[in-house]
Amino acid sequence: MKGHWRILVVDDEAVMCESLAAWLREDGYGVDTASSGTEAVALARKTDYAIYFVDLKMPGGMDGIETMMQVRRLRPDASVIIITAYATVDTAITAIKEGAQEYIVKPCNPEEISLLVSRIVKVKNLQRENTILRKKLTRQYHFQDVISKSARMRAILDLAAEVASLPSTVLILGDSGTGKELIARAIHNCGQRASKPFVAVSCAALAETLLESELFGYEKGAFTGADQQKRGKFELADGGTILLDEIGDISPKLQVDLLRVLQDRTFYRLGGAEEVRVDARVIAATHVDLRQAIAEGRFREDLFYRLNVIEIRIPPLCDRREDIPLLVRHFVERFADELGKDIGEISEGALKVLLDHNWPGNVRELENAVERAMVTCRGRVLGEEDFAFLEQDGSRARSCPVPVGMTIQEMEKLLIAATIDAANGNIKEAASRLGIDRSTLYEKIKRYEIARP
Amino acid sequence: MKYLCVGTTPEADPEASAEVGRFLSAELDLPLRRMELPPVDFAFDSRRNQYGSIPVLEMASGLCPEDALKLIGLTERDLYIPVLTFVFGHAQLGGRVAVVSLARLRQGFYGLTADREIFLDRARKEALHETGHTFGLVHCVDRSCAMSLSTRVQHIDHKRAAYCPACLRRLSKGVIT
Repeated sequence: MKGHWRILVVDDEAVMCESLAAWLREDGYGVDTASSGTEAVALARKTDYAIYFVDLKMPGGMDGIETMMQVRRLRPDASVIIITAYATVDTAITAIKEGAQEYIVKPCNPEEISLLVSRIVKVKNLQRENTILRKKLTRQYHFQDVISKSARMRAILDLAAEVASLPSTVLILGDSGTGKELIARAIHNCGQRASKPFVAVSCAALAETLLESELFGYEKGAFTGADQQKRGKFELADGGTILLDEIGDISPKLQVDLLRVLQDRTFYRLGGAEEVRVDARVIAATHVDLRQAIAEGRFREDLFYRLNVIEIRIPPLCDRREDIPLLVRHFVERFADELGKDIGEISEGALKVLLDHNWPGNVRELENAVERAMVTCRGRVLGEEDFAFLEQDGSRARSCPVPVGMTIQEMEKLLIAATIDAANGNIKEAASRLGIDRSTLYEKIKRYEIARP
Repeated sequence: MKYLCVGTTPEADPEASAEVGRFLSAELDLPLRRMELPPVDFAFDSRRNQYGSIPVLEMASGLCPEDALKLIGLTERDLYIPVLTFVFGHAQLGGRVAVVSLARLRQGFYGLTADREIFLDRARKEALHETGHTFGLVHCVDRSCAMSLSTRVQHIDHKRAAYCPACLRRLSKGVIT
């Protein structure tokens, strides 16, 4: 990691300058030298040095402190170490006050310089890593990084970008795997709440009582095992955004509780008498047709209208096939990096297989398929044979009898049971084949009372 | 064929010089020649009561035989570079010459009972370290490698008189000559 960082040694005494530079070079750093403050500032304009060793006393009207101040104006993140042969308390205080990271007296012990430089470099490496990770994290969830050239999708992204700055509740509708959470995170990251928490709750994954305590928290002694107070997801999202995923699956009681939070922005922790006020933007998401659920009496109409202030409907992948090549290239690039594989291309034949596939599990299923193909691919180009499992999975699905007269729910139950069976009871594998996440699959197993092998 | 030259100033310990020459020659698989170097009194700094390693290195550079691959000088004098209180040795990074000071490698320097074996062991390691710099090797993060940085004599004692596999690989690729 040393090679990343460059050091500039500034001293009017050539022998001082060169000897320190040579010593630092032996330590593996890239080192330049400057014989005056003016030269140092000129070099700082061209090169981003991580560390500056600056001699305090230099002739020519620009001493070490002045040099440091000009360098720090140009490079605020740089670490400046003032070196002097004539140490006084006053000069040390001035140097530190003006922003010097360290003040050392020459000649100094080799260990002192070595430890000082390695300590600064260690911090800089951590800062760099932190910056890279932050960039990586936020990049993943910004609108410009949502991969699509479909006009319909671009219109959706424009709408989402527009509502990002508003406080209004958003309802995101779309099938499993279309990227509802991605859009929700992008809305959060592009709005004024970006620096505050984003908390996602999968409502389908938890039983009613568990979900209640997850959302609203509980007081000590609220129930057996509640040995201390716990804050709920609403409180954790205070100032930020809460995503209520799979909102269509919550119980009637929780629908009432949620309605109150949306109306009053207040709630009670389980077992609590004190009203808790929160300021969290609510984004809800579901694959369920809520209008139909209202008609069937499974979902409260008043809650629907509270949630549905702004509606964003994400189309399934089969309705925007033009995005498949773009998405595939993105996934190939990403997985090549993550899996450490030297695969950079996909053959035309393989792309045709992917374009012809129906993708009931949408982008998530496509993502899983590309990953699976890349794991088993032996060459440098993904070929048709690497996606043979799509056909096998398809034929397995086709072998499921679907008699006319069957309801969609019955067909879904049958498909899920057959897929779990084909995956030998492996829920992760079955969820991947179905193109849904595990929590959704568990919820469906529970709802359809499917027996597992 | 190019050879390794080990030069000794008049006051330097002859046994240490012989041992360092034999060791470097075997370790680097290079033929060895020896030479006498003149005294380094010209590099004496009375204010510091030490000898500047830069003028000593310049002198060695001027005396390095043309057909020698490297010249490693040994002296008993305590060496320094202006910005540091002392150095165990000094080399031209990727150059042809290096110099090793034996002064601080002796137990006696630290008020301890003399120990010949410890002294010779340190001399071997320091000579191998400075020679590594002349081949372009920089300090190694492996604390047991001869190329790891030593700012105290204890650090020298902790490392081995050999390059680590990573430094050996760099050497075999001819980092720089």
